[in-house]
Amino acid sequence: MLEFQKVSVSCGRTPLLDSVSVSFQKGSITALVGPNGCGKTTLLQCLNGISTVTAGEIFLEGQNYLELSLRERAKKVSFLPQVRTVIPSIPARMLVEHGRFPYLGFSRKKTQEDIRIVENAMKFTHTLPYAEQPTDTLSGGIRQRVFFAMTLAQDCDYIVLDEPVTYLDPDGQREFLLMVRELKSQGKTIVLTLHDLSQALQTADQLAIMDNRRILIQASPEECLKSHILEEVFHVSCKTFTDKEGRYYFFY
Amino acid sequence: MNKHKFPMTALLALLLLVSITVSILFGSVPVDLADLCRSLITRQADPTVHTLITTVRIPRALGGLFAGIGLSCSGVLLQTVMNNALASPATIGVNSGSGFGAMIAMMLFPHSIFFLPLSAFAGALLTSFAVFALAYATDSSRTTIILAGITISSFLNAGINTIKILDTELSVNLTSFLIGSLSGLTLKKLSLPCLIILAAFLLSCCFGRHLNILGLGDDVAYSLGLNVPLTRLFLLTLSSLLAGSVVSYAGLLSFVGLIVPHICRQLLGNDARILLPSSALLGGSFVLCCDLLGRILFRPFELPVGIIMAFVGGPFFLYLLLKKKGGRRVNA
Repeated sequence: MLEFQKVSVSCGRTPLLDSVSVSFQKGSITALVGPNGCGKTTLLQCLNGISTVTAGEIFLEGQNYLELSLRERAKKVSFLPQVRTVIPSIPARMLVEHGRFPYLGFSRKKTQEDIRIVENAMKFTHTLPYAEQPTDTLSGGIRQRVFFAMTLAQDCDYIVLDEPVTYLDPDGQREFLLMVRELKSQGKTIVLTLHDLSQALQTADQLAIMDNRRILIQASPEECLKSHILEEVFHVSCKTFTDKEGRYYFFY
Repeated sequence: MNKHKFPMTALLALLLLVSITVSILFGSVPVDLADLCRSLITRQADPTVHTLITTVRIPRALGGLFAGIGLSCSGVLLQTVMNNALASPATIGVNSGSGFGAMIAMMLFPHSIFFLPLSAFAGALLTSFAVFALAYATDSSRTTIILAGITISSFLNAGINTIKILDTELSVNLTSFLIGSLSGLTLKKLSLPCLIILAAFLLSCCFGRHLNILGLGDDVAYSLGLNVPLTRLFLLTLSSLLAGSVVSYAGLLSFVGLIVPHICRQLLGNDARILLPSSALLGGSFVLCCDLLGRILFRPFELPVGIIMAFVGGPFFLYLLLKKKGGRRVNA
């Protein structure tokens, strides 16, 4: 379990995160939803060290997470950032291999094990056909999968995805979320932010709803729907349809 | 992919070896290969030839070699640390900074060979930190870094010009310093800077993997467990050491730090572990060849290497840019 206890982040005098407590159960998918600028990314960035926690604590399976070095963290929690300022002009395979950096460090040579993990990550994300192509020549959808493969090559039990599907087309989004569910069935714990509420309700086991730098509620999709809190936060109405294939949510 | 990397690197190494040899052999008094072997290996050369080789030709070749290594590696480091393809010791003002530092040292302690590199390094370091801090404070977009560099650079150039005008004694040998020149080098003057360059180069090669990760951008680098601020600080210091040491003896050589890494990127890709050594090889050859050209073109007059580099480097760089824009990409 990954647990935030009263975590606050502030930049100078501006508070970015206000005493947030939230926990992510092992082997589950948690979707973090909330309006733009509510602090979702800041919350997640406490994990990779970009946001500096000013108060509160984070525990990973009982261990004080913030005491770990950045490299130790990168072996336990892998992180796919939302914005990537640089699209490197290196072959896709090399980018995925960078996912092994926390283990390799200065001098350790790539082992068969590293190569196998990289290969599996690329197979899982269907990026093997593009392995030798420069990343900056790939389309946005494939590029996202290559970065995802890099994140998976870190071989962590906890995987954090910050808006992983925002720039993908509908088919790409569906495939990406299928991969996320597949990872869950492998026993991984996944935390992701999503803007599409019906996707969040369909994909996640738990929803953590944020507004104004705080977590309002953390509950199962059913409970969230019952409490009408999504409608309140996003100023929308929700309709639910059911047929024999499943449940669909429509926000308007 | 790896198949064409080895021959290319070997070719660059061969080019460097030839450049060094020709640079030693060529001059107003021609020396042939046999003389060189006799002087260095069997030590049975004509004493005047021996003196010529050891006190004039070899220092000059060494100076050129290490200037190339230092500036191109500094360029690779800066481009990665600032995540900016236009960064180089000359474009972001590090050269001007170390030049200013060097000039202060020349003015205050004209006879100290120890203080000059130190002061040049301090100038380089302060400038690169200033540029980086400025760019960071204003939310480091890529243009900001270059703009900050240009601003600081012109400020420092004003300082350099002030010293040049006020200290008339100094300005005699200053022209070659401002353009960048390899004439009149001695082993004694070279030893400290070259040692620093060698050490900093080897050290930065050890950090190739870190450079690659830093090159992915801050968000990704953090997520992969890299201590981004610390790594950046360290690499920035290394690049200042490299550039400052070169400036301390060769003056304000521009272009090497920008152009050589770019050529190597095109030839061999973006992996810093290959880019650093190959840039060192090509950088050394480039400076030595330009110096050679400067000595040959208007014999018996000699053009400083800085001028030739601008003449040769500028158009060649433009050619590369146009080729990259218009045609298919050759590298991968």
